[in-house]
Amino acid sequence: MARSLFSPSWYRVADLKLRLRSHAQIHRQQFRDEVWYVLQDHQTGRFHRLSASSNLFVSLMDGKRTLGEIWDMVGRRAGDDPPTQDEAIQLLAQLHGSDLLQGAMPPDFQELGERAAKQARSEVLSKLRNPMSLRLPLFDPNSFLDATMPLVRPLFTVYGFLAWLALVVTGIVVAVMHWPELTSDGTDRLLSTSNIAMIVMIYPLVKTIHEAGHAYATKAFGGVVHEVGIMLLVLMPAPYVDASASTAFREKWRRMLVSGAGIMVEFALAAIAMIFWVNAEPGLARAVAFNVMLIGGVSTIFFNGNPLLRFDAYYILADLIEIPNLGNRANKYFWYLVQRYLLGVENVENPASTRGERKWLFWYAVLAFLYRVVLSLTIALLVASKLFFIGVLLALLTLFSTFVQPLFKGAKYLLTSPKLDSKRGRALGTTGVATATVLALLLLTPLPYGTIAQGVVWIPDRAQVRADTGGIVTEILARPDAVVAAGDPLIRLADPSIDGRVKLLEAQAAELRLRHDAVQFTDRTASDMILQQLRNIEGIIASGQQRRDALVIRARDGGRFVLPNAANLPGRYVNQGDLVGYVVASATPALRVIVPQSEVDLVRGRTLRVDIRYASEPARIVPAHISREVPAAQLDLPSLALSTEGGGTIAVQNSGGPNNRPRALEGLFVFDLAPEQAQSQLLLGSRVHVRFDHGSEPVAWRWLRSLRQTFLSHFNV
Amino acid sequence: MSDAAFSPPRPILYAERADKKKSPLDDHAAKAIAYLKVAGSKRRARQLAGIERKVTALDGEMRGLSDEELRTRGRHVSVALKRQAGFPEQVVAETFAVIREISGRLSGRRHYGVQMVGAYALLRGYLAEMATGEGKTLTAALGAATAALAGRPVHVVTVNDYLASRDAELTKPIYDWLGLSVGVVVAGQSVEQRRAAYACDITYCTNKELAFDYLRDRIVLGQNGGNLRLKMEALQGKRPRADQLRLRGLHFAIVDEADSVLVDEARTPLVISGEAKGEISTATAEEALGLARSLEAGKDYVLIAAQKRIVLTPDGRERIASFADERGREWRGVVVREELARQALSALHLFHRGEQYLVREGKVQIIDEHTGRVMPDRAWSDGQHQIIEVKEGCTPSARRTTIARMTYQRFFRRYAHLSGMTGTGRQVAREFWQVYRLPVVTVPTHRPRQRINLEDRVLATDNQKWREVMTRVKELNARGIPILLGTRSVASSATASERLTEAGLPHLVLSAAQDDAEAGIVALAGERGRITVATNMAGRGTDIHISDDIEALGGLHVIMVERHEARRIDDQLAGRSGRQGQKGCFQAILSLDDPLMEFAASGLFKTFCHMAEPVMGETAARWLLRHAQRRAERIHAGMRRDLLKSDENQTRTLAFTGRPE
Repeated sequence: MARSLFSPSWYRVADLKLRLRSHAQIHRQQFRDEVWYVLQDHQTGRFHRLSASSNLFVSLMDGKRTLGEIWDMVGRRAGDDPPTQDEAIQLLAQLHGSDLLQGAMPPDFQELGERAAKQARSEVLSKLRNPMSLRLPLFDPNSFLDATMPLVRPLFTVYGFLAWLALVVTGIVVAVMHWPELTSDGTDRLLSTSNIAMIVMIYPLVKTIHEAGHAYATKAFGGVVHEVGIMLLVLMPAPYVDASASTAFREKWRRMLVSGAGIMVEFALAAIAMIFWVNAEPGLARAVAFNVMLIGGVSTIFFNGNPLLRFDAYYILADLIEIPNLGNRANKYFWYLVQRYLLGVENVENPASTRGERKWLFWYAVLAFLYRVVLSLTIALLVASKLFFIGVLLALLTLFSTFVQPLFKGAKYLLTSPKLDSKRGRALGTTGVATATVLALLLLTPLPYGTIAQGVVWIPDRAQVRADTGGIVTEILARPDAVVAAGDPLIRLADPSIDGRVKLLEAQAAELRLRHDAVQFTDRTASDMILQQLRNIEGIIASGQQRRDALVIRARDGGRFVLPNAANLPGRYVNQGDLVGYVVASATPALRVIVPQSEVDLVRGRTLRVDIRYASEPARIVPAHISREVPAAQLDLPSLALSTEGGGTIAVQNSGGPNNRPRALEGLFVFDLAPEQAQSQLLLGSRVHVRFDHGSEPVAWRWLRSLRQTFLSHFNV
Repeated sequence: MSDAAFSPPRPILYAERADKKKSPLDDHAAKAIAYLKVAGSKRRARQLAGIERKVTALDGEMRGLSDEELRTRGRHVSVALKRQAGFPEQVVAETFAVIREISGRLSGRRHYGVQMVGAYALLRGYLAEMATGEGKTLTAALGAATAALAGRPVHVVTVNDYLASRDAELTKPIYDWLGLSVGVVVAGQSVEQRRAAYACDITYCTNKELAFDYLRDRIVLGQNGGNLRLKMEALQGKRPRADQLRLRGLHFAIVDEADSVLVDEARTPLVISGEAKGEISTATAEEALGLARSLEAGKDYVLIAAQKRIVLTPDGRERIASFADERGREWRGVVVREELARQALSALHLFHRGEQYLVREGKVQIIDEHTGRVMPDRAWSDGQHQIIEVKEGCTPSARRTTIARMTYQRFFRRYAHLSGMTGTGRQVAREFWQVYRLPVVTVPTHRPRQRINLEDRVLATDNQKWREVMTRVKELNARGIPILLGTRSVASSATASERLTEAGLPHLVLSAAQDDAEAGIVALAGERGRITVATNMAGRGTDIHISDDIEALGGLHVIMVERHEARRIDDQLAGRSGRQGQKGCFQAILSLDDPLMEFAASGLFKTFCHMAEPVMGETAARWLLRHAQRRAERIHAGMRRDLLKSDENQTRTLAFTGRPE
């Protein structure tokens, strides 16, 4: 590294006699076996990490020695690597930027004012740039915390810790014991509207106690807390405290404890709620307890417990592995690697000072980036589903700040950075090749492209064999899976009551006939009445005989006779209208497939081949072709097996359609497929998985298409 | 100033414009607006042209006045100018008419229309672009006199001492007539002389002297330079600091050769250095040089010629480390030892005797890169100078360290009123606006140009080039045509001189080594059969008079043997001939071995040009040299931009040390 010992502007510094302002305090800390010094600014609550030689430099500043003298002294004392003049100037500038320097000169008020204005502006800008987490400071809780400290002091002892441990363990044990109850209660209640309202009410409360944990932990170890406020996380208010004073703690376990206090508090709350929940009668209190458990136990682990987000676990991790400012340094390290090894710049400073740090920094940078992108896009899409424009705006903002802006900065760096002056050719070459590769992959490399859909083995209504009348199956007349002709008997049913009733009616008819004969010539009126009765009875006899004939079920059309449960059928009573079997006209039954509206265009226009897999035999791929397509969209499903509740992919609403039939949320298109190969032993109505093959296409065009669809569908074009 | 002796107390003891803070947005806006400003340069000239008519209208009246009446008239306009701020056109026209009449009566040189337009542009705070040889001296006098009559202390800034004293001498009669005092500041004057010169109404000075004097004033003023404080000190009666100052502040500047002063020289900061402790011993320096000689180029270090930089490779660093292990405490510390090694390498490979420095009387003296003049009181900083001294076998002088530092950009921006003139400003017009907020006004020429520009010759090797030059010189010389041979460096001048001597051609050399004879040589350069060799800047601003019989021969013939690092400077050299509509001729005879080729993007081009020569002739080579020049221009523009940016950054970083000087 071409560092020069001397700085051309040292002359402006050399004669100054400066010292640190009295509100600055230096703490000694150890990171990865290296001693560092943390300079705490009590006025602004900010921290600066100083290396050993910087600390020596700062410590020697007593307002009597000139900086030139101090630099010479440090140079003699600091051994192999004295700070260069430029480094010393940087250090002083940084200290000045935080108003930590005091000298003989009066402060330059104009400069102070400008700096303050600039800081205020950059704060506003950073808020605007990150609208998903806004901070609104409220008040200074320090005196309140001091006053209430005696109440919680016992908790910050070994006994306090043991009590906490006992509580949490109890909670876990109880939870494990009541696991089935807990989960069964969970699923149906969790997402109901009233419960969500309750969660919204409880959440801030739990989080307030959580933050109180941080605040008291900080106080317990001698720090101060001067800011409490409300943070809008994805427009959801959550309290926060400024516990940054803990940075000054010398022992890392104390720093970790402050960061972890929130999670510990929530665990304790969850444990209490658990115990209460088990013992309480159902009611509002029990529901509250359940939700507290949910927030304190589950959401805490996902949010606060995730080190990839800048919440509690991040700080715990940073302290645990002794890499302060982990996130920023990880990013810096990643760019250092890019510059050093991809672009070949030798002049960059490695932000990783020890060996062990490197892996941490690298992986943290990569994982946190991916996680952040996925999370912010998810949030943006979630918001977009409710508030389209704001959501799209957020998504664009996310894309802009995660991709476009870095790309722009990178291009600027490549083209103009003086660091690259001698390596620009290589740098441009490397990035050019990398960009070309990515673009070629996205734009040129064709990748297999298909639409996956589900369908059912479909039987037309005519093919259904139903019992025309109720009866007990006595005999199966046609062999299942055999080909039958129209009118062939298939199944014989028996209904003894029909025979008896027909006989009875026939007897009644005979009686009436006799009576008719008797009065035929004597009483004209009576004779007509009896004749009417007779006709009535004869009609009933005819229908009874018809029913008796219907006990033999016959094939309506010719075809293959399919009887799904032939073995169980004899001896069983079937009701009138019950489905007993099928007579399928063709050798293989048709497959009815539904394709959601969003994908129908592709399936219609670009289907090159269709492959199906039967659910009963998922390993075998059967080619097929589209035999029929319905041009209009419909909302009702051909089979409930295709709905999400039936294990399919189509979301339905349960009470929309006529006759309370489930209706799909999105328009569906129906395609009938004819498999190329016959399939015996088909379970009719069973699921088939279908892949419509569209050849191959580079990824970029697909993205473009789905983007277009998203917008078109929103604007109902 | 006999009867106008009343001089009111100065309201502001040391006037200068405060540094304006800028936001990044300002920079972007300035960049965008610069295009508009440049586009408006001709329109601006037309707007100013009205002054000519108004002055001509007063011409008859002025001619009718007696000398005494004219003087009285001068006093009247002075009062009128003082009364109204901002140089109203009518008053300016009257002032111009008076001065023009005076000039006419004194020397017969009445200002042309374009000169009046140029002078009016100066008063408006513009940068007047006037073709070479349009009489900028007289234009400046018109502007300076008007400003001085308005009660403003005027600094007329030029590039060298010769021009400063010549211009002052040439125009002094006019000022005398008007009752204005004139001072000249040149190198070698005492502080008292300078103070007296700056106290005059109009001061002719060079940019260097002026800026350094200002910088010394700033050292005196330090952080406590407020007007009120200075006045309080004057009341306290001790020796007030106001009396130790050289200048009266920065009021009104007319920068002649503005592109040279404001652009070319703005690449290097001004530094005043003093002696520092912590000397480098001869032994250490010799050890360092020994080490540097043992290091191999390419393996241990890489030389980046274009940026004048040396980069150590890991191999080299290791060798330095093992070397340092066996040495004493001067070699302790990674930064220290690598700094020493780098300086020694620079001394060996980047600093060459005759180019960057001369050795005179056992001392290393720096040659100014731009003017080609020796700067006896300057030294490189941080021990570099001492190592070069040891390399040349001199006893090392005391190590010097910076006491004050200034960039021209910062300096000229502090003028309450800045204006300038140049012959070649168009190529850097945007920079003038962006950096100095100087809009360019393109003033049309008085008479059409008659200079013939012959096509460039580009030869394959240095030897061929010189042979061609000599043939050409002999041929022209035989016809009696005066020749000016323009070179790029003192060393190149020396080569030219050698070659001419070999060829038996009598000639005179105008370069850094012979400052004193400069004026004499220039005066003679236009004579029949004269051959003059001049470096880059030595030619600038010099007016080479030619007689009618020479003009009949085709005027002065300028041959450029090397392209300079900017096209503007080439144009300046060309502008030595064909002045004020006279005849002249300009030709460049170059070679592919020229040092400028270092700036070409790749060595492959050169091979290509050699190969393409039979087919394309010199076209490819001409293009290549122009390309190299363009690249050099770009690199230098980048350096100026970086300097400005780092200066601004530094001001920000060093805010804790107070206001920059």
